[in-house]
Amino acid sequence: MNISLNEVEATAKRATRGAGYSWGLAEEAAKATRWLCARGQNGTGALARLLQMVMADAPKQRAPTDLSGDWHSDELLCPLVTGALLSDCAIRVNSSAITMSNVAVPVLLLPFAANAARLLDTRVTIECDGIIAETDGLDLTLNGPIPDQAKHVSVHLGGRLANAVPHHTRAEPSPTDWSTLNRFAQNTYAPATEESRLRGAGAGLSDND
Amino acid sequence: MKQTSAHIPRRDPAQVMRLSRLGSLHQCRLSFMRQLTRRMARENWNFIRPVFDIDENGVGHAVYTAQAPDHAYSLVAFAHDLPPEQRSDRVIAEAWDATFALFDGIPTEQDIQRLSENVPLQEAGRVSENELSLSRANRSVRLWAHVVDRLAAGQQPDLEQIYKVGYLMRTTAVYGSGKFGAADREKTANRPELQAPFQTEMLSVYLTRTFVRDLVQHMARVKGGDQTAELAPEIGQWLGIGNSTGLGMAPFIVNHPVLFNNWIMVREEALAQVRSLPTASDSEAQQFRDIFERCKLSMSWWRSEHPIQIEKLSALNADLSAISDYLDQDDLTRYHPWERLIQWSETTLSEEGQELLASLVLEPYGDLVDGLTECMADGNAQAQIIDGAMTVAQTRALIRDRFDWALSLDWSDEANCARAWYVSEEKLEPRLGERFEEPISDFEQPLAPARDAAAAFAELSNWRDEAPIAEFLLHHPEHRHTIRRAQIGRIAPYGEIHDNTISSSVMPIDMLRAKLSFFGATHFDPRSDRWVRICMYSGAPYPEDLTTETADLWVYPELEE
Repeated sequence: MNISLNEVEATAKRATRGAGYSWGLAEEAAKATRWLCARGQNGTGALARLLQMVMADAPKQRAPTDLSGDWHSDELLCPLVTGALLSDCAIRVNSSAITMSNVAVPVLLLPFAANAARLLDTRVTIECDGIIAETDGLDLTLNGPIPDQAKHVSVHLGGRLANAVPHHTRAEPSPTDWSTLNRFAQNTYAPATEESRLRGAGAGLSDND
Repeated sequence: MKQTSAHIPRRDPAQVMRLSRLGSLHQCRLSFMRQLTRRMARENWNFIRPVFDIDENGVGHAVYTAQAPDHAYSLVAFAHDLPPEQRSDRVIAEAWDATFALFDGIPTEQDIQRLSENVPLQEAGRVSENELSLSRANRSVRLWAHVVDRLAAGQQPDLEQIYKVGYLMRTTAVYGSGKFGAADREKTANRPELQAPFQTEMLSVYLTRTFVRDLVQHMARVKGGDQTAELAPEIGQWLGIGNSTGLGMAPFIVNHPVLFNNWIMVREEALAQVRSLPTASDSEAQQFRDIFERCKLSMSWWRSEHPIQIEKLSALNADLSAISDYLDQDDLTRYHPWERLIQWSETTLSEEGQELLASLVLEPYGDLVDGLTECMADGNAQAQIIDGAMTVAQTRALIRDRFDWALSLDWSDEANCARAWYVSEEKLEPRLGERFEEPISDFEQPLAPARDAAAAFAELSNWRDEAPIAEFLLHHPEHRHTIRRAQIGRIAPYGEIHDNTISSSVMPIDMLRAKLSFFGATHFDPRSDRWVRICMYSGAPYPEDLTTETADLWVYPELEE
């Protein structure tokens, strides 16, 4: 499938909302998925995998409990909640590394590290169980595939940003991932009823004039 | 030399961003259509019609290519034979009189073959990165029949009929920016001719208008044979392209606060600069008078059967005669003439009249204000990133700045949250429903920034002033979209509507008109409180008549000598 990045963003937003996240986090997920796809990464696959883990039902358990040390929780951390927090706490990266433990689908943290890099106007390195990614917000380098789940993640300043991955203008999601996202998105659409059809759009019944 | 003494500030967002005022906006020289026609003339674009393959039933396809300095753009048009029972302007329609794609470059036969299998299906088809927009149009049945019959009988169509309707076909959606597989805006945003907002869509509509004129001539010839008249240019000029639009445009201006801000702020800045002029030359004053007279003629063709617009038009007509009286008594050259005019309008005219003047006073000052149009696009992706280090107290202040009026509203009162915006599973048509009468609130879209701001503000009052907003957001992800908007407000003072978008009395057509006025639309004709028809390019030169002399003021009809 060959999809525009705008379609990726729109579908990711609806899917994330449809999976039970807040609108604000759905917006983050949409931008994050698009950011990954624009750098040739399988953003749609990552989001589809995350949404199927049904983390939005208990958001508190999926977020770090204490921000003073290592970010962790009793359960796997959600990369959208934790990623948004990382972006929001970008300024902390200036003084020391942010570390976290047990993160689901950690590739989804990269766009938020990119936000941090943009806000701080610097390069940021993110290390997931030995795999190293670097970004200045725009470009991305990776020295291997980000694992499906990470035991240890560290986000700190710096990076050489040599051999950045090429930028892409289209996404090619697998049909399975794309239909997973669309299935979640469906939850945001009101069922078609005759009343809604007649009242909701407010158009005339005939346009033969 | 024009002297600007920069002491007249831009109008306050609290004044400008009221829905009733946004619903009274008029086109101006900054409008997207006029930006495009001026550029096409200035750069001497070349237009050709390499294909016109339409049969005697009006079925077939045609290609219109516009050659800009560095790129070509081709409208690929498909004409269909549509049974009347299928003619609907709604998104949920499944067939149209004509369907279009704007191709980036010059299409090959394979491209046209591919498009012929997809474009007629619209939302149910797919286009590619080679296409910049996808659109469709339906005939105005009455005017179409009138024009075909008259030409076929060797006569010219009746101008009064044309003025009344304004167009032979109306578009019912023009999709750009990556929709249904088309190229993302990023592909073309850095091309000078497409940098300003909606230039792709405006170009598509401009070429569509030429196609529709050619098609009606073709159909007349099929009917009338040798006796068929050629449509006279001075009549054909008044055939615009209509647009029939529902609620899709309303979410757009809420969902793009930076972009919408840039449109409004540029117009406000232009207005402030003109108001600041201490004097006007005789020729500038005369230019304004001429434009005003021409504008009055155009307004006299504006018809609507909708009670609200009928009332607004009657107020506007009273405004026009009040303005005429004012112009009789003021020579418009001295003592800050434009500032005095605008101040007078605010005490005397309806919002229709006030906004008409705010648009018209820009007309003599292209040199001063046209350059501002370069600031109308939104290139600031970073504005979307929340600054989590901002304190709770600072965030509260931002919300109060923008939404003071909303914080005291009783949001538990049903009248204040009577409506809910939602998306139907039927072709994802955006709709507005009654929250307390229909099962829709579970599907509500975040299109009530004022209500959400009040809720976030209330929650923030439980937090200590110096706490970073990051901490608040960790505990309250449900307010994340609102905090983002509040921070965007720092760079987008005109990004928020200062009215309740879910109240029992909200008029969605006001939101539609605000957007359409920036396109350059005229003759707003509401069909209901949430549906409007408009006219585009009526009076504009066709490609063969496009010159720097004709490219700008075409929206104002020339007066007969």
